[in-house]
Amino acid sequence: MTEVVTNPTPPILHGPSDKEKKYDRQLRLWAANGQQALEDAHILLLNSGSGTVGVETLKNLVLPGIGKFTIADDAVVAEADLGVNFFLDEESLGQSRSERCVNFLQELNPDVKGEHFPKQEGDNIEKLLGYGRQYTLIMYSLPIEPYTLALIQQYGQQYKVPLVSIHSAGFYSYFQIHLPGCFPIIDTHPDSTATTDLRLLNPWPALSEFTRNLTKDIDNLSAHEHGHIPYLVLLLYYLEKWKESHGGFPSTYGDKKAFREFVSEGARTDNPEGGEENYDEAVAAVLKTVSEPSLSSSVKDVFEYQPTAEESDSSFWIITDAIKKFYGKHGELPLPGSVPDMKAQSSVYVELQNIYKVKARQDVAEVLETVRQHPRGKEIDVNEVETFCKNAAFVKLIHSPDSSADTLKEITGMFDEQALLTMMPLSLLPIYLALNATSHVPSASTSEIIATISKTVPEACSDPRVVQAAEEVARANGGELHNISAMIGGMVSQEVIKIITKQYIPIDNTCILDGITSRTQVLRI
Amino acid sequence: MLRDRFNQQSLGVPLNTMVKEARILMVGAGGIGCELLKNLVLTGFGEIHIVDLDTIDLSNLNRQFLFRQEHIKKSKALVAKDAAHKFNPRLKLEAHHANIKDPQFNVNWFRGFTMVFNALDNLDARRHVNKMCLAADVPLIESGTTGFNGQVQVIKKGQTACYDCTAKETPKSFPVCTIRSTPSQPIHCIVWAKSYLLSEIFGTSEDESPELDHSEDSENAQEIEKLRQEAQALKLIREAMGTESFPQLLFDKVFKDDVERLKSMQEMWKTRKPPRPIDYSSTVQEVADAETRKSEILRDDQRVWNLHENIVVFRDSLKRLSRRLQSMKSTSDLDAAEPIITFDKDDEDTLDFVAASANLRSIIFGIETKSRFDIKQMAGNIIPAIATTNAIVAGLCVLQSFKVLRGDFSSTKEVFLSPFAPERLLSSDRYREPNPDCPACSVAQTRVLVDMSRATLNDLVEDFLRLELGYGDEFVVNTETGPIYDVEETENLSKKLKDLGIKGDSFLTIIDDDDENPRVNLILNVQEATTDLEDRPIKGLDISGSPSADGDRPASPIPRKRKSAVESNGQGVTGIEEVHPMANGIVGIKRTAEEALGHESGEAKRPKTTVNGANSANGTSVNGEHGSALIIDDSTDGAIVIDDD
Repeated sequence: MTEVVTNPTPPILHGPSDKEKKYDRQLRLWAANGQQALEDAHILLLNSGSGTVGVETLKNLVLPGIGKFTIADDAVVAEADLGVNFFLDEESLGQSRSERCVNFLQELNPDVKGEHFPKQEGDNIEKLLGYGRQYTLIMYSLPIEPYTLALIQQYGQQYKVPLVSIHSAGFYSYFQIHLPGCFPIIDTHPDSTATTDLRLLNPWPALSEFTRNLTKDIDNLSAHEHGHIPYLVLLLYYLEKWKESHGGFPSTYGDKKAFREFVSEGARTDNPEGGEENYDEAVAAVLKTVSEPSLSSSVKDVFEYQPTAEESDSSFWIITDAIKKFYGKHGELPLPGSVPDMKAQSSVYVELQNIYKVKARQDVAEVLETVRQHPRGKEIDVNEVETFCKNAAFVKLIHSPDSSADTLKEITGMFDEQALLTMMPLSLLPIYLALNATSHVPSASTSEIIATISKTVPEACSDPRVVQAAEEVARANGGELHNISAMIGGMVSQEVIKIITKQYIPIDNTCILDGITSRTQVLRI
Repeated sequence: MLRDRFNQQSLGVPLNTMVKEARILMVGAGGIGCELLKNLVLTGFGEIHIVDLDTIDLSNLNRQFLFRQEHIKKSKALVAKDAAHKFNPRLKLEAHHANIKDPQFNVNWFRGFTMVFNALDNLDARRHVNKMCLAADVPLIESGTTGFNGQVQVIKKGQTACYDCTAKETPKSFPVCTIRSTPSQPIHCIVWAKSYLLSEIFGTSEDESPELDHSEDSENAQEIEKLRQEAQALKLIREAMGTESFPQLLFDKVFKDDVERLKSMQEMWKTRKPPRPIDYSSTVQEVADAETRKSEILRDDQRVWNLHENIVVFRDSLKRLSRRLQSMKSTSDLDAAEPIITFDKDDEDTLDFVAASANLRSIIFGIETKSRFDIKQMAGNIIPAIATTNAIVAGLCVLQSFKVLRGDFSSTKEVFLSPFAPERLLSSDRYREPNPDCPACSVAQTRVLVDMSRATLNDLVEDFLRLELGYGDEFVVNTETGPIYDVEETENLSKKLKDLGIKGDSFLTIIDDDDENPRVNLILNVQEATTDLEDRPIKGLDISGSPSADGDRPASPIPRKRKSAVESNGQGVTGIEEVHPMANGIVGIKRTAEEALGHESGEAKRPKTTVNGANSANGTSVNGEHGSALIIDDSTDGAIVIDDD
């Protein structure tokens, strides 16, 4: 490590473009609005145990530029810390662990503010949490005092702040995300092939007219023109013809297969290639694009959810309401407006793109008008409405599970059954059970761990894999392996970024790592 | 010992001791490298060598945490070493600010390591290290990341698949005529600006650009000839650099006159929209207005500039580059090569010039214009990169290293990050077996000790290959640059090897042309003998022939090629996809993990045909072992995805 800068004066970055340069590689993942969300965030880490995993997680959040972080940690740096924590050095021995770690972490990025806690005698957890809604997200490492945990959970409840717990011991680790109530995500970054929405079965007038113009003399077009009709125009044209002769659109799988045949018969084969690429594209697209619009289960879930009075005042639910109305009226969601690559003359392709863009803009305008009628609607940014409309088919709501002994019992009852039936790798639940049993003690013997597990899920105690996991946790004796903590720290920070930027879908809700086999598993616990 | 307590507890004494005694080579000290070095140091590895030829850039600092603002332009290897050393002064660390392909890093040097970690950002260096590790028979842990995706693989000669066991996609290229005459996508205009315009004005000639595909040239001979003349005329204009009229001359040439000529070729525009030249004089007023907002425009990275703004940026960046080139010329030595400016995505002047020129050309051809931010990604083949992914991948590398230390290659895994699979964040697959047709690892390898003062090609061909190794009449000897011997090309036989360009650390490939039962290719790593070899001028180090019992020829120690994918010499069969039971109980064909990740992983990227609009790499596929859908979204718009730097 380089020397501690006691009074960190950030090297001057030259204007906004230097910052953009520094963050260039990540802006391509979450764009300027994601970056802004990170820069507005304040993250609290309650550190305990051997204290590495939380600091490793923070490192990956300081680097991309979160606004501020606070480390609360009572520990004083000991020799063993130096062997496992990269953000401490020889000079740190005997000093406040939180203060030393904050200093080192802050060096990583002068744009980030860091605070340590406690600062003076008498500073306690009540004080730390006593300033109202100050933190965007709280992470705490296990083991933790039950009293402290209760206070954090209460804080999370009260201020709707996401909590993340992390436990790392020896080769084992897990982390768990506790989202407050319902957590909506608009920008889920769906696979771009999945977002294609061409409205082939219910084209609007401008699209139909465009199709008619391009195909009105289809049999007399030159070879070049015929071979460059965009495939989506071809599909619209043949769908219309199909409808004339069949009285409706192809709906069953069999129909679609026949329709595919019907389209391919239209291709000209009297050329050296013996076919046409645009027809090949059209045929390939039939099964995927010729379908009635339907709502995905995640959108239905959003539409059906009854937001609480408090929630319903947020822009997400106001826009959702407007989109629901839009859907009620038109039977479809606002058009995303993008057109995939296809073989076409560039001028035709550009025109086609414009037709989709214009329609998408009209849809946004309609939704916006409904939004504006809401008492709070005037405050909502038009960009937010646009983003929502564009992603409407992929919005997602995450409901945090009610963590209780019952759910754990339920999962435990069948954890390996599924795996044995399907020859899938065995569940990692035993690792979770063993680590979870040491949530409030620095270390424990195998029998103590088993005894704790038996209090919640007695039937698991006889399972040899649970016993084995308990032995491994006992062997680690509360100690972290740097490499495992660094790895799980990478995974936790990745999920924290998803939660803070409200982009991409975070895991739901527990991820267990077995470092011996390099495997992870996500369970809802 | 206290410091070591946790490692001792969890790794156990035997493994912890192996860790302490290991000698490690880490190639690359970038995104993965920084994380890896920290993990290696804290896991207690005894000796670590770091090789990286790169220097630190501002855009590294969002993830390469061993580096700070004040380290910009310094050697990554050296700064990383110092940072890690301060943390633990008892460690043995050595840094080389050098290219891993330099001759000092020869096979014998590689043999000195317990294992090698690749933390590289490019295909070429990866393949080189792969080859060296195979030749030295040292285990290699290979890794790469792209955005949220990443993968780790253990390579051990003869036991697991090597880096070259699957074909890697070559970077995308475009026909010359598409770039120069008939662009239809933004990327065409960007390649034009970068590989033609910028390099004609400030660099060398376009023909060296790997992005241009000349395979269709002969079909368009006339047009190609015209284009050649056009480029010649451009070179003349280059002479005017520095004069007041230069920007206008260049502008009129490439955005008006050349376009007029193209437009006049009516054949070309029968089915395409003809280009519209830009008349500079008609824009003067608006450009002057935009000029007053110049610094604001230049800051506007993510907004798409209009025609006049692009002209302002074009002129301004042209001025900056001209000035720079002239000052380079005035300070360079007379006998030194002519100074040039080449495209660098992090060099703002070249980026501005390419962005504005590309957009102006797009306007001419009615193609969508792009923001500088987007053009940077497309022109610079930028791969998104963040600390989180690198931290995970580096952790996985070290976990695999424990298995390598134990020599337990059969339990090594090929691990992929699957950030968008809801039920796990990693998917690990069993290692793959070597591909029997792999040009890199399904070959025989040996070192030969050569007395350079006297060894001739005949000594190699007759005495070593024929008599000692049992080769027949028909075989070819290749150096790294080409063949030096085959049955019909014998005039080199009397020449000394050193006169044929062979020196210490050279590689020779022997290809057996036996019709009946050819041997696998043999790779000879030439080692210069430092002491007298007594009787023979060439001596095999790792293999040698033994007289056969029942013939006059010695038995060959070089295995024969397999006739088909059928098992013949003890190696596993991997030409066939493995069959695995799927989650639903139905036996399905398992895709190799490579295929499951498709073109995203920095591995095995197949070319994708795209027709119009942007080219984006997307994959939706099924991961065999767990039967889970793995959906990857990677909208890199025509960028060639490689890995983190």
